Amino acid sequence: MGLLRSRARAVAAAALIAAGLLLAARPALAEPTAQQVEAVFLFYFSQFVDWPASAFADERSPIVIGVLGDDPFGGALDQAVAGERVNGRPVVVRRLRSIAAAADCHILYISSSEAPQLQQILSALKGHNVLTVSDLERFAQSGGMIRFVLIDQHVRLIVNARAARAAGLKLSSKLLRAAAPARPGEG
Amino acid sequence: MPLRNLPIRRKLMIMLLVTSGAVLAVTCAAFIGYQYAAYRAAARHTVQTLGDVIASNSTAAVAFDNAPDETDVLAALQAERRIVAAAAYDASGALFAHYPADAPASAFPPHPKHDGLRFDAGMLLYYRPIRQGDNTRLGTLYLRWDLAALHHQITVYALIAAGLTAVAMLLAWLLGRSLQEQISIPVQTLGRAALAVSEKRDYTVRAPKLGNDELGTLTDAFNHMLDQLTADIAERKASGVRLQRQLSRLDLLHRITRAVGERQDLRSIFQVVIRHLEEQVPIDFGCICLYEPDEEVLTVTSVGAQSRETALELALTEKARVPVDSNGLSRCVRGELVYEPDIVSSPFPFPGTLAKGGLRALVIAPLRAESRVFGILVAARREPDSFSSGDCEFLRQLSEHVALAAHQAQLYDALQRAYEDLRQSQESVVQQERLRALGQMASGVAHDINNAISPIALYTESLLEREPGLSDRARAYLTTIQTAIHDVARTVSRMRGFYRPQEVQAPVARLDLDRVIRGVLELTQARWRDLPQERGAVIELNTDLANPPAVIMGAENEIRDALTNLIFNAADAMPDGGTLTLRTKRLVRQPRGGSQSTTEEPPAEMVSLEVSDTGAGMSEEIRRRCLEPFFTTKGERGTGMGLAMVYGMAQRHGAQIEIDSAPGQGTTVRLLFPAAPVATDETVRQLALGLPVRPLRILIVDDDPLIIESLRETLRGDGHRVTAAEGGQAGIDAFEAARAAGEPFELVITDLGMPYIDGRRVAAAVKAAAPNTPVVLLTGWGQRLTAENQVPPHVDRVLNKPPKMRELRAALAELARAG
Repeated sequence: MGLLRSRARAVAAAALIAAGLLLAARPALAEPTAQQVEAVFLFYFSQFVDWPASAFADERSPIVIGVLGDDPFGGALDQAVAGERVNGRPVVVRRLRSIAAAADCHILYISSSEAPQLQQILSALKGHNVLTVSDLERFAQSGGMIRFVLIDQHVRLIVNARAARAAGLKLSSKLLRAAAPARPGEG
Repeated sequence: MPLRNLPIRRKLMIMLLVTSGAVLAVTCAAFIGYQYAAYRAAARHTVQTLGDVIASNSTAAVAFDNAPDETDVLAALQAERRIVAAAAYDASGALFAHYPADAPASAFPPHPKHDGLRFDAGMLLYYRPIRQGDNTRLGTLYLRWDLAALHHQITVYALIAAGLTAVAMLLAWLLGRSLQEQISIPVQTLGRAALAVSEKRDYTVRAPKLGNDELGTLTDAFNHMLDQLTADIAERKASGVRLQRQLSRLDLLHRITRAVGERQDLRSIFQVVIRHLEEQVPIDFGCICLYEPDEEVLTVTSVGAQSRETALELALTEKARVPVDSNGLSRCVRGELVYEPDIVSSPFPFPGTLAKGGLRALVIAPLRAESRVFGILVAARREPDSFSSGDCEFLRQLSEHVALAAHQAQLYDALQRAYEDLRQSQESVVQQERLRALGQMASGVAHDINNAISPIALYTESLLEREPGLSDRARAYLTTIQTAIHDVARTVSRMRGFYRPQEVQAPVARLDLDRVIRGVLELTQARWRDLPQERGAVIELNTDLANPPAVIMGAENEIRDALTNLIFNAADAMPDGGTLTLRTKRLVRQPRGGSQSTTEEPPAEMVSLEVSDTGAGMSEEIRRRCLEPFFTTKGERGTGMGLAMVYGMAQRHGAQIEIDSAPGQGTTVRLLFPAAPVATDETVRQLALGLPVRPLRILIVDDDPLIIESLRETLRGDGHRVTAAEGGQAGIDAFEAARAAGEPFELVITDLGMPYIDGRRVAAAVKAAAPNTPVVLLTGWGQRLTAENQVPPHVDRVLNKPPKMRELRAALAELARAG
């Protein structure tokens, strides 16, 4: 939780500094929520995943994080990516209503609200270089790539490296080490 | 003790140890420093590398909040033991994970500090960001490296270095001990030599040279310096000696000059010079010769006392004559100083002579006064080449001084002689003047006495000859009167000897010396017999007269006076008595080698008259001078004229005087007269003859009536016709008158001294009128005829007063016959 808190505080602090306000002047920060932590993690995935060059229009093209379905993060995700650049590329957040736009994303968070259409979504994304992330149960086993799972109050990752590879993505071994491998019955 | 006062050995040792120690220390320090720096660099590098690796591996764990994973990553650090602590902080700076995992969180910094490496309290601290690629910082990695190992290592190195240094210095000390001798021994040797020189002033010390290094050069330089020092000292000593010698020579010159200055005669000057030269210079042979330029001969005048033997050997004793040869001597008499360093092979006679005496080096210095060399100074030594230039210079200067002194002595001598001559001349003049005055007085007295007794003598003689009726008593009385007159006349005549030393030449006649001697002995016996007897002294008389009696031609009165003088002298020489001997001898004598006599002169018959005494005798000096006028040994009692008169007599008689005398040996005075020719009968006859054959007309001129009267009477008694004139003018008038009357006088007898017209003018007038008329001049003895020293002009005969009939008759007979 320290990480989350720290990240959250860091995000808050950066925002505050950007706003020219003192952190101390703000009300005491609350313990970050799992959503806030996940928002930060979403941003961090952009650092540990390599997309093929074809996934971008050009070198300046942003990394697009899409949120399909209901946005559980509130402003946290926006805050997390605000002003950041990864490997020279800006990071943008898009909120998607339709599955059609999902293919243009590089990281797609599938909100739990979309559980019903999960298979449809995953199928639609076949052949596209999109890292799929979700809190949904059995997501990794269902063909998703990374699932957030809360263990002992810590957000943990379950990664389906095969799916990612199938989508043409290279996941950093460090990410794989830090994540719990997707075990049957747990993904 | 300060380092600079330490002995060189210890200095060298200290330098060696300090140097090697310093080198080692620097080396070790550099090594350790390098090690230290290298270690630190290596540590930094390792820490950075490890940090990079760990940070890279930590990104995902930090990013995705996986603390256990991070703890695993950090645990990998245990492979590096020197990483004692590590920690990871999240982006907010909170401690996230740490190593070692079991350490309490308080063991780590609560928050990360600035990125970078820093050393802090023996630790190397490293903070670095955890970042995936170039992206946003995920957290901070902290590593702590313990430098204790480094410090431990440094300590070990330091210990090793110290030990190494100690060993090295020990080694250096051991090596240095043997090596330093290469320097310290030569230095000590040099030092000892220098000490010996400075303490003992021994400049013969030389430092041994032990190598060809700088010390060798220094030793050489030191020895060279000593050489020069020795040379300098020797030179200074030599110059000191020279100076000393110069001074002593100057002193000697001064002493000689003083000694010379105190002397006035040449011989003594020369002697003192030679003596000083022999004793002080010194020389082996020294003499002084005088130069006679006319004969080109040197006469040895002075020979040194020590040179006498050599001189004897070389025939160079005093008075020896050395001809001036062509080399040294001739150069010397031209005024040069001659120095012959070695005469052993000299071809010239004089140096050759000296060389025969074992002499080798010769200096001849001229004695020069008024640019004329009058002598030479000869100095010689047995050692060849032994006269230095200083010696020569000394002799040259000395010879100048000596020459000057000798010249002054000669001048002084000449001056003394001139003064003595002057004094004698003065005395002689005074004496003569006194005698002349006395003579004048005496002659006046004699004149008056003779005038006074003339009539007595004439009348007495006349009476005794012509008066027939004389009683025996009268005849005896007259005879006594005649003898008395005769004695008076003789007494007066003796006065002449004292005031008239150069009398008119007395008539020369044959003299029987026996008779003269006996007469004189009789006359003088008061002096040689009676006076000594009053004092109790006895003078024996011894006469040794030739037989037959010796006869000479001479003036009796002069002979008599001379004999009287000789007898007086003999008596005076024997105040305590003795023997007086008179001796005559006839002898034939070879003509003496006098300069005037011709060598062909035949042997002459001589008569010797000797007067000998056994008295005090005379020294050589007195003997030489005794004939000088006014020379006397009798003080106020003597006139100094006696022997002078004898000498004058001898000269006038062609006689020689010989004097044999020595102090204490008595005196013999010998007069050598030419013997008289054998007397002819004619002479004797003429002498015996006295009477004129015919009566004459005679004019008598005199101012004394008594004389006129007595003469007239006497001459008339002889049958002459006599006219008398009283005074000169009257005489001349009478002579003229008689001539005018046709009865001229056949003979004139005139007195000499008369008022207005004296006898000379009368004689002149007579001769002017009648040159053939004889004139007889009568003189009171001692009249001024002495001044003219001859028979005056116009006078045919001079007769002394009182006139004797015999003499008068003889003169008249002779003149009448001639006329």
